[in-house]
Amino acid sequence: MKKISMLLIALFLLNACVKQTKPESLYDQLGGAPTIDLITKNLLDRILNNEKIAFLFKETVREDLHEKIVSQLCQETGGPCVYEGLDMVEAHSGQEIKYSEFDVFVEDLILAMEDANVPFTLQNKFLAIFAPMREDVTYQ
Amino acid sequence: MKKLKLCSVLSCLFLTTVHDVHAGSRQLGTGAVTQIEGASGSGLVPWATIAGYGESDETDFLASLTRVDTGDYRFDMQGISVGWRNRVEVSFAKQELDLITLGPAIGLPGATLNQDVIGAKVRLGGNLVYSKMPQIAFGIQYKKNTDFLIPSVVGAKDDKGIDYYLSASKLFLGKPGGLNGFATMTLRSTEAIETGLLGFGGDNGSGRDVNVEASFGVFFNKSVALGVDFRQKQRQLNFAKESHWKDVFIAWVPNRHVSLVLAYADLGNVATLENQKGWYVSVNGGF
Repeated sequence: MKKISMLLIALFLLNACVKQTKPESLYDQLGGAPTIDLITKNLLDRILNNEKIAFLFKETVREDLHEKIVSQLCQETGGPCVYEGLDMVEAHSGQEIKYSEFDVFVEDLILAMEDANVPFTLQNKFLAIFAPMREDVTYQ
Repeated sequence: MKKLKLCSVLSCLFLTTVHDVHAGSRQLGTGAVTQIEGASGSGLVPWATIAGYGESDETDFLASLTRVDTGDYRFDMQGISVGWRNRVEVSFAKQELDLITLGPAIGLPGATLNQDVIGAKVRLGGNLVYSKMPQIAFGIQYKKNTDFLIPSVVGAKDDKGIDYYLSASKLFLGKPGGLNGFATMTLRSTEAIETGLLGFGGDNGSGRDVNVEASFGVFFNKSVALGVDFRQKQRQLNFAKESHWKDVFIAWVPNRHVSLVLAYADLGNVATLENQKGWYVSVNGGF
């Protein structure tokens, strides 16, 4: 009986320990700042040269866009950043971005992650975070 | 010489068109494949997806060929479909079931069962990938036997019928375990016997059945998915009981223009012949 109660106490303590360890953020799993920066660079290389959507960015300065995207990706994946840009609706208002253009962007994002050697499983977790933004980005 | 010139102009045109045509812009795999009645779906089950990869401002065209061979039966389907603005799908399929074993047994060697299926589907709401709710669609399949002799002999009342179905489909980004899972549930109201190949409305007095169909699986990478289908079938003619259908499939979608599906189907008892199992192969092309 004593043995069993000891065991239960040990299990309880172990459980408490496990609970205290925070799960690693997607930001950390991806490899932190260097990977976010590389994904962003790859992404901009693609979208700014993709004839289907490049016109959407003609009023933007690449460096500004790079900085904003990095801070947003960092914040949303659980990294130590605060995105201080416009929210997604404001940022895209007046552009009337179509679903098909959003799709092209997503495809370029996937390719940008592939180019940065992000594993398929992390790519999907990454996309899952940003997928719900579609309605805010499009047709504004 | 003139002919030659015309030819080269035509081939030039053809090549440029082929070069220029691009499929719609939805992500790879989101067009599903073509199910046995010609609708966008997996092997046996229509999904809520709209054929092809078209978005709200795009239209896609698809053609597909499917064969299922159990040894006793060989099923062939040729289908074409159009997906309009990720909203409406229209399809046409010709089906033929070769009665390899039964034909000679009933004194009709080479006999086949044939039907045409005209399908239409409308996406009512939701988005397979982006919305929290599943993509929901309502569809109909108008089926007509092109030769009613055998169906009428075994007890079918009608050579045509309409299936109605409501379908919900969802892709789960990053689940399970970072992969992309998918699931579909479809409810179908039907009077069809063996999907209509043996006619419609039985001789044992049963009216419409509502059947549950389901499909689920996982994308292991951008282009390869593994999944299973289940299709409830409960129509009973006096001469033979129908079995529920199942399959396990692997789909390969190398790009938005081509897909290939290989499956192993278990069709159970089909028109008195028991334990019908066999390979399912399907190829789709689209732009």
